[in-house]
Amino acid sequence: MVFTVYFCFPSVFVNLEDGLDKMGIPVLLHLGVVLVLSPLLLGIIGKTKACLTGRIGAPLLQPYYDIGKLFRKGNVYSTTTTWIFQAAPIVCLAAVLVSSLLMPLGGLKAPIVFWGDILLFAGLYGLARFAMVLAALDTGSSFEGMGASREATFSCLTEVVLFLDFIILSCVSKKIVLSEMVQGNALTSWHLAGPALILMGVSYFLVLLAENARIPVDDPATHLELTMVHEVMVLDHSGWDLAYILYGSAIKLFVLGSLLVNILIPSYHLSPFMQTMMFSGGMFVLSFGIGVVESCMARLRLNRIPQLLIGAFVLALVGVLVVLLKGA
Amino acid sequence: MWLEVVLIIIVFLSVAILGNSRLKTIIQLFALQSVVLSTTPLLIYPSFHAIIIAIVIAILKGVLMPVLLFWAIRHVSIRREVQPLIGYATTLLLGGVLIGVAFLISSKLDLPDKGISNLLVPCAFSVIMIGFLLLVSRFKAITQIIGYLVMENGIFLFALLLLEKTPLLVEMGILLDIFVGVLVMGIVVNHINQEFGSASTINLINLRE
Repeated sequence: MVFTVYFCFPSVFVNLEDGLDKMGIPVLLHLGVVLVLSPLLLGIIGKTKACLTGRIGAPLLQPYYDIGKLFRKGNVYSTTTTWIFQAAPIVCLAAVLVSSLLMPLGGLKAPIVFWGDILLFAGLYGLARFAMVLAALDTGSSFEGMGASREATFSCLTEVVLFLDFIILSCVSKKIVLSEMVQGNALTSWHLAGPALILMGVSYFLVLLAENARIPVDDPATHLELTMVHEVMVLDHSGWDLAYILYGSAIKLFVLGSLLVNILIPSYHLSPFMQTMMFSGGMFVLSFGIGVVESCMARLRLNRIPQLLIGAFVLALVGVLVVLLKGA
Repeated sequence: MWLEVVLIIIVFLSVAILGNSRLKTIIQLFALQSVVLSTTPLLIYPSFHAIIIAIVIAILKGVLMPVLLFWAIRHVSIRREVQPLIGYATTLLLGGVLIGVAFLISSKLDLPDKGISNLLVPCAFSVIMIGFLLLVSRFKAITQIIGYLVMENGIFLFALLLLEKTPLLVEMGILLDIFVGVLVMGIVVNHINQEFGSASTINLINLRE
């Protein structure tokens, strides 16, 4: 836990030396909002899926109960594993928490803003994935190794699309800072660069589904051999570690989803209250949309997933071409 | 701005057609593309002429041709393109390259500027290229028909530059030709199927007495 605090709050430690100045409180507030609200998205997705299939479904707060239940349990470690296996969930959770600090959430400004922070944003997700892949290999199970190799393969494809989307965004807003990119001139950007933003939105949504192991790419609901990408990597984790991983993936969905909402719903010029309302509404619609996608699609066959991601790549490429052509 | 959004949706739909293997979905996507396409004359040059073209295209390409193609696949009972010449992922990548080429070519073209949108020509070229790619990379006759029709949609987009100058009669003649072409191809698909027991055009590479 000390590790987590250390990873999560480096800026707090730095700033505590100068007294609790402007930096500390926004960071804590931001982290608090992310930590409290992120499992709710999974709850909304689950409820949507249940409603569309005519069931009552688990309560909206079920992800909180799940995580709480896991925190009450102890960890079980295999004798073949090393410290890597125990560190990975913490690194994973810490990386996604830090990435959330770069993202403006409705009326809350991003606490950490510096030039070129999109590279850090993408790199933190790379770090989280790297830690999980190492932990999966560390178990020595061939089954988990297979899942790790698949995760690594698909992430090669999603990261290219993510960066192409960043290129589109930075060309449209002429900024290279994440929170300025998504808010810079978003209200006017729909008139100037609507076509490119549509292409970006579609390709980024596919990346969002792939990164969060949602349905056309991976099935988060089962832990059997059918889901051989993300879920298989966490089979050996238990107790606190599994809770960290579940919490981490909920936060990842929240942060990556809020990027999409921030881009597609221009609310920068409104009052903070209205911004927050727009943002919450956008997040609700997004998780509802993911639930609808999951209800009406089956998981794709494994060899068709690269095809889907290459499709996303082509769309992002066209978006870049359009932006370059329009010179927006 | 709406014109550009519509153009991008048309390119998006042709990429989606390129990446799909189910014939039913491909035909539905084509119908959607044609309906979206039919709004472009109205957005560029709103007039009586444009309204008639829009209605005719929406009915002919959005309803009649898909119905005909659905009839054809029901008759020959094929569901999906089993063995494309090039894999789907490669085709999609090639499609991306071709779209890039289309944008490059159209930036070199010295067309008289009509002040419509500088996305119109690149998008038209992209759709034509993707239609070509569908034509050459698939074996099933139905997919090839769709490729031809997607290409024709691209040519129509390109011809929008000359919308004011083209007499209505010529446009109608072109549309009638395409319709008859698709009708004939639908019947040909049926005959290929009766002759060889499958609708794959790979059976047509040998000459026989």
